[in-house]
Amino acid sequence: MDRELLLEIGCEEIPASWLPPAVAQLADRLEKRLAEQRLEIPSPIETFGTPRRLTGRIARLAERQTDLEEVLMGPAVSAAFGADGTPTQAALGFARKQGADIHALERVETPKGTYLAYRRHQRGKATSDVLPDALAGVLRDLSFPKQMHWDAWLDDGRGELLFGRPIRWLLFLYGGRVVPFTIKRTDLALSAQVQEVRTAAVTYGHRFLATTGRSGRAIKVRTFDEYRAKLAESFVLLDRNERHDKIARELDAHARRLGGRVGTGGSAQSALLQEVPDLVEYPSVVAGTFAPEFLELPEEVLATTMIHHQHFFPVFNPEGRLLPAFLAVTNTQPDNARVIARNCERVLTARLRDARFFWDADRKVPLATRVQQLETVLVHKALGTYRAKAERVAALARWIAAEAVGRPEAADQAEAAGRLAKADLTTEMVREFTQLQGTMGGIYAREEGQSEAVWRAIYHHYLPAGVEQDAPPARQELGPAAIVWAAVALADKLDTVCGLFGAGERPTGTRDPLGVRRQAHGILKILTDLPELTGIDRALALNELINRTGAGLDPDQRRALDQFLRERLRYLFEVRGYAYDELNAVLGPADGRGAALRPFSPLDIRRRLEALRQVRGSADFEALAVAFKRVKNLAKELKDGPTRTLGRLTEPAEVALIGEFEARGAQIRHALAAGDYAQAFRAASGFRPAVDRFFTDVFVMVDDAALRTQRLTLVWRLHELLLELADISEIVPRTES
Amino acid sequence: MNFQDLILKLSEFWASQGCLLQQPLDLEVGAGTSHPETFLRVLGPQHWSVAYVQPSRRPDDGRFGENPNRLFKHHQLQVVLKPAPDEIQQIYLDSLEACGIDPRQHDIRFEEDNWESPTLGAWGIGWQVLLDSLEITQFTYFQQVGGLDLAPISVEITYGLERIAMFLQRVDNVYDLQWAPGVTYRDVRWRDEVEQSKYAFAQIAQPVEEFARLHRELFDRHFEFGGTLLKSGLVLPALEQCLKCSHLFNLLDSSGGIGVTERTAYILRVRQLAVAIARAYVWAEQPAEKET
Repeated sequence: MDRELLLEIGCEEIPASWLPPAVAQLADRLEKRLAEQRLEIPSPIETFGTPRRLTGRIARLAERQTDLEEVLMGPAVSAAFGADGTPTQAALGFARKQGADIHALERVETPKGTYLAYRRHQRGKATSDVLPDALAGVLRDLSFPKQMHWDAWLDDGRGELLFGRPIRWLLFLYGGRVVPFTIKRTDLALSAQVQEVRTAAVTYGHRFLATTGRSGRAIKVRTFDEYRAKLAESFVLLDRNERHDKIARELDAHARRLGGRVGTGGSAQSALLQEVPDLVEYPSVVAGTFAPEFLELPEEVLATTMIHHQHFFPVFNPEGRLLPAFLAVTNTQPDNARVIARNCERVLTARLRDARFFWDADRKVPLATRVQQLETVLVHKALGTYRAKAERVAALARWIAAEAVGRPEAADQAEAAGRLAKADLTTEMVREFTQLQGTMGGIYAREEGQSEAVWRAIYHHYLPAGVEQDAPPARQELGPAAIVWAAVALADKLDTVCGLFGAGERPTGTRDPLGVRRQAHGILKILTDLPELTGIDRALALNELINRTGAGLDPDQRRALDQFLRERLRYLFEVRGYAYDELNAVLGPADGRGAALRPFSPLDIRRRLEALRQVRGSADFEALAVAFKRVKNLAKELKDGPTRTLGRLTEPAEVALIGEFEARGAQIRHALAAGDYAQAFRAASGFRPAVDRFFTDVFVMVDDAALRTQRLTLVWRLHELLLELADISEIVPRTES
Repeated sequence: MNFQDLILKLSEFWASQGCLLQQPLDLEVGAGTSHPETFLRVLGPQHWSVAYVQPSRRPDDGRFGENPNRLFKHHQLQVVLKPAPDEIQQIYLDSLEACGIDPRQHDIRFEEDNWESPTLGAWGIGWQVLLDSLEITQFTYFQQVGGLDLAPISVEITYGLERIAMFLQRVDNVYDLQWAPGVTYRDVRWRDEVEQSKYAFAQIAQPVEEFARLHRELFDRHFEFGGTLLKSGLVLPALEQCLKCSHLFNLLDSSGGIGVTERTAYILRVRQLAVAIARAYVWAEQPAEKET
């Protein structure tokens, strides 16, 4: 019979951001470890988490392991019996070893001949006997971003048990009975106050709240339903969705009472709403206010203080302006709301008072003076100070605006914004609220009376942070600053990425402490979406931009940087849904083998990919892609170099292909020159009948060397022509027709 | 509850939990962790439980007695338990109740906050404890100190005494706290705050460059002498020199006498000495393990 499995790992408070992945991991690891024990799981694995518990439940789990059948091989039949058919010592010995009668042995055919074999049937063990091993496996498997030592070990031969936080209790029931299991403690720690953790049929409710009896006492449970109900009575909402919805509901109700709403558009607020359900077991929302005089602080500062420092939700009026109020999610019941709200108000007020002090003090020193102060702030030991960087970025931003995108009228502003971009690093506000770097610089520039193009460019210059088409900033947010912004954002990131590659700081595997990938993504995103972001339709070449940074990369470093950027660009287009074969064709294969495109321009590559998308469905193109593989392979046979004339190619299929080559070659080159890749791909697709006919009617690798070379030359020319578009041999046909 | 009663209550509570009541380290330190009762006692296998108040100097936080929340010198009540008891969170919450904070009436939370001290080569895993969103305690399971892995694991509980007292007395300005009946925090601490802040930011009758030169020199001499003491097998005196260096570095930092480039180098030097001291201490405690 199947019975219920219930596991609860009772922990000290697990960090909120770890909880959702830990809950997912628990389901995954339970399934794997139970399967490893040959236990059938007819019902789904449900997992839950609160800050103090990770819970897994399987409504029905098989009562025994599935039986194991093994076939044990014995001697070859030829060696097992004498001429008279009597068993040899080898056969008798094998039978004895298996405890089987010689007649019970089977004959098994193998590639090496027929062998004697014994089929052993092993009955599965009772589930409760193998569950301890499964639990040990699960506890070993669960991994957290930071593992801690807590003087614990398991008797599974692997010693110390690290975990995210100390485990304080284990509820582990199968069919309502406790499955025995123990987490041991090291001899060095074991004492009256440090004890083994043993599985039991108890859980614990909310730390401070209980409907009956004293909070914090052990609660006996036998089944999941009882467990869940008793937890609910003890102020623990096991289901994260339930906590999330209660929070969302109460936030909404409170905000309405305040005559406003909780902003949902802001990513910081939605991130907060994603975080709070994992900070509490029993959420309730309380509302507080702050003195309206603080509304003179920039909205960004108020929101950051509330959201990042206090985990409070700001409240907005119907016009989208901040109200002098906040909502806090607490881990308690609403009885105490007023006292708690008043205490929260005091904490927030103290923070806002600090912020106002910074705001007043910072504005006394102009940004231009702050640029001088950057002399003492180091970017990186190999890259010098931010003072030096400011000059490099100013010069590069100027060049990008004036030359690369061809807007000399924006050059002065780009230079000014580039120079001031990092000045806010010396402000008190950014020291306190590091996530406001750039934003504060922009706000202070605005306060100083810098032009909108300059202050907005500074404000957004850390963006974009993502590679998606709709990753911020949006064109409307940039307003008249779009071009200046693009110049500064590019210059800043190019300077950092190229500089760090020159200093040997390239990201490896998951290690990227300096965030080089993120910065590279920013560069590539701007270049790929330049028309949408700035209205400038220019395919800027990365090579030229890199050369302009003056990073002085040696050839090895330069190769590594090119390879890295190519990988990141590939990633960008993967995120945007392009298939691997399309990327192989346009960007070159992922492993870096094969021909790379010469002018490495993200926008140009985007255009080719978009065009490729358009033709890819057509039968002609797919068939051409197949034929092009032959073209590519044959082109390699041209060892003596191409001939100048094709005078001996007189067969009709040859003549036809030459004709097509001339006509279509002109079309394709014309379309390429005009940047009309769709037209170029369409023209290329038209090659298909002539190419097919050529391969059907003409044998290329004839013995006549001169003729062979001319035929190969024709193939080679075709190859070179199409390669200007993409290496379409990489395209994997989706239809077999 | 006035400030000194709070100290008495917490001291009494932890004494009843079997903690030795120690006295503050009589040197300038930034936190109770620097006290040998923490820094050295958490090393090695001996069980040890201790509590003490540690006046803690943070030159960079000096505000000339003008800021209601920030202080050049604040007071920590430091508790170290080795090994960390299984029930330690509950015991800690009981200590708050002993001070008159009923957890059922408030929102008390343990929110992730891992602690690290680059100069001491130390880090740990833990939380800040929030009382109605006010940070009142740093709660840390030490993992490494002086660059050495710890076994058994110690827990360090650091109460911010001013914050808790302000909460209990419902005052918004630290200087309005009652230290003792009829005596305010202002009466006791204000003048020192003003003068020490001036010192911390080098607002003295000496050019800034000279101030910096003097403190660099002092740093170098204490650093060198710390090494000499260590070579002579005197671990505790060497630690005192190391802590002197740490404080001098903090002063150089707050007075702007140090570039960012140098900053890292100074931190590394202090750490280097701290690590050497921790190793020497462990070897002296357990000579048998020296070879392993």
